[in-house]
Amino acid sequence: MTADLPHPDANAERTASTPVSPSETASSAPEDPVDDPVSSAPASPELSSASAPIPDSPTPPSPSSNNLSPDSVSSDLPHSDLPNSDLPNSGIPDTDDPQTDVTQVPAGVMVQSDPQAPIDPNAQIRIKTEQGKLWAILPPEPTDKEKTLGYSWTELIQQLQQRLNGDARSWAPGSNVRVMARDRLLNSTQLQELAEVLTKAQLRLKRVYTTRRQTAVAAATAGYSVEQTIPRLQMTKPANGENTSPLAEPLYLEMTLRSGAEIRHNGSVVVMGDLNPGSSIVAEGDILIWGRLRGVVHAGSAGNASAIVMALKMEPAQIRIADFVARGPSNPPNQIFPEVAYVTAQGKISIASAEDFSRPILK
Amino acid sequence: MGRVIVVTSGKGGVGKTTTTANLGMALAQRNRKVAVIDADFGLRNLDLLLGLENRVVYTAVDVLAGQCRLEQALVKDKRRANLVLLPAAQNRTKDSVNPAQMRQLVAAIAKVYDFVLIDSPAGIEMGFQNAISAAQEALIVTTPEIAAVRDADRVIGLLEANNIKRTSLIINRIRPKMVEVNDMMSVEDVREILAVPLIGVVPDDEKVIVSTNKGEPLVLSGNPTLAGTAFENIARRIEGEKVPFLDLNVKDGLFAKLKTFFTKPIG
Repeated sequence: MTADLPHPDANAERTASTPVSPSETASSAPEDPVDDPVSSAPASPELSSASAPIPDSPTPPSPSSNNLSPDSVSSDLPHSDLPNSDLPNSGIPDTDDPQTDVTQVPAGVMVQSDPQAPIDPNAQIRIKTEQGKLWAILPPEPTDKEKTLGYSWTELIQQLQQRLNGDARSWAPGSNVRVMARDRLLNSTQLQELAEVLTKAQLRLKRVYTTRRQTAVAAATAGYSVEQTIPRLQMTKPANGENTSPLAEPLYLEMTLRSGAEIRHNGSVVVMGDLNPGSSIVAEGDILIWGRLRGVVHAGSAGNASAIVMALKMEPAQIRIADFVARGPSNPPNQIFPEVAYVTAQGKISIASAEDFSRPILK
Repeated sequence: MGRVIVVTSGKGGVGKTTTTANLGMALAQRNRKVAVIDADFGLRNLDLLLGLENRVVYTAVDVLAGQCRLEQALVKDKRRANLVLLPAAQNRTKDSVNPAQMRQLVAAIAKVYDFVLIDSPAGIEMGFQNAISAAQEALIVTTPEIAAVRDADRVIGLLEANNIKRTSLIINRIRPKMVEVNDMMSVEDVREILAVPLIGVVPDDEKVIVSTNKGEPLVLSGNPTLAGTAFENIARRIEGEKVPFLDLNVKDGLFAKLKTFFTKPIG
């Protein structure tokens, strides 16, 4: 279906390198024939205003992101055959040494220290094993302003259900789950819905940890044990900004991610199945797809540019690694083989055949 | 308990209502007791397609409000007494009913009927949630278009999240000629993305429009049409019969063969 779309320059094949401005990225029209590579290229004023190429990731700015110019948003993916061939240096200033540009955020040096930091509107219910126990961690109660931004309860429950469908093998059936509700208000219907979803995945809701009286009453009425002191979990990201957690253990999913499904994880994600168009994965670590990648992936979402994306069939709509964005190649490759997307020393996202790939040593 | 099947698609205009009307009628012709439910509150059409508009007295909302008994609201088909329609209210919106009420209604109907087909509205909001809340199975209708397939994919995901695992796919309005010249997604293209068992392929047919306007489902017409036969086959497959898929290329194939036969010596 993409075959009959006109391509701006015919001989460009998969190495066409048209800088994507963040605004373009949003409207994502990779094959726009009038998209002139030159005019849309570097640092126009509106580009710098939208300097966050990853609009939906309100993670605290990493120390490196300050000197990250919007121009480092890379481009139509150069494909495996010519990984580093002369890509037009789409406006990346020469001074902008990618090696310093993409420095990893050392664990535990989160600069953000504002206790009133906005809550991540994309927070999902997370399932996690810690201290030998299984936890379901709810996103915190949104403030009134955030209510419209964050996921509604129905959406949270649906996402949880979809996720549980995917990784039912990660725990023994019949395991008890502790629900970390923190300051989130839960009424008895919501608790019941949560319990139902867990039951379907052969998990048992056992104990609710909450700081809210209302939630505690609802949970106690429903017959769950209630704990009003909150143990410190690594996942609960204390509000004082001291987030020392390195990557969480990898999330293994055996499912097809369909349009609208979104997986967020603060570690690596392995999917045995396809990523259909319209789905997305945001991971702080690597993303490995044992199947077809046709959605949007964001690896190293907390700023780790050495993260990689690997897929058996790489046909992404868009790839993001750390603060870099690249849209998928306009022409799908003729032969299909496992490929890896990574950030090159030049500060671009490039794709190489998995066979030839060795992780570049950044820093 | 009868089987409760929701007909849904995500995108509008792909043929949900047409499919519901024809499958309902086809199953009724196979002497099953069938109830079709219009869950498209505020934009009801199923009564039109079945030609029952002028018989609608009460609607689902009236039943829920206690203004009539369920049996009173069920409209008997004028041709087949074993097919009934539960019409949607036209003067209400989708928020006038909630999933619990829908489940209650459907449970009462499923006690009496072998098949309950629920015609879902387009979209994934309240109306959709209502429509799927009572269903055990789903028929996904899509056309071979990229937008329809994308929406169908989303809907399948939502159905999975709502624990409806038994879904089958109907590809509607396919044009074999366009597929042949690569202007349209093929059945394989669609299946490859959606990865759901295929239960039927319905060719694009002008007669569908005629039958819709007349309020006479295609499966009723005396002389068989390709689309009508496709719907009948789907009904048989729903009942577990193994029916080979129609060879939609038959006519064109012959033509094409003749054409190539004649053009070959010249070209």
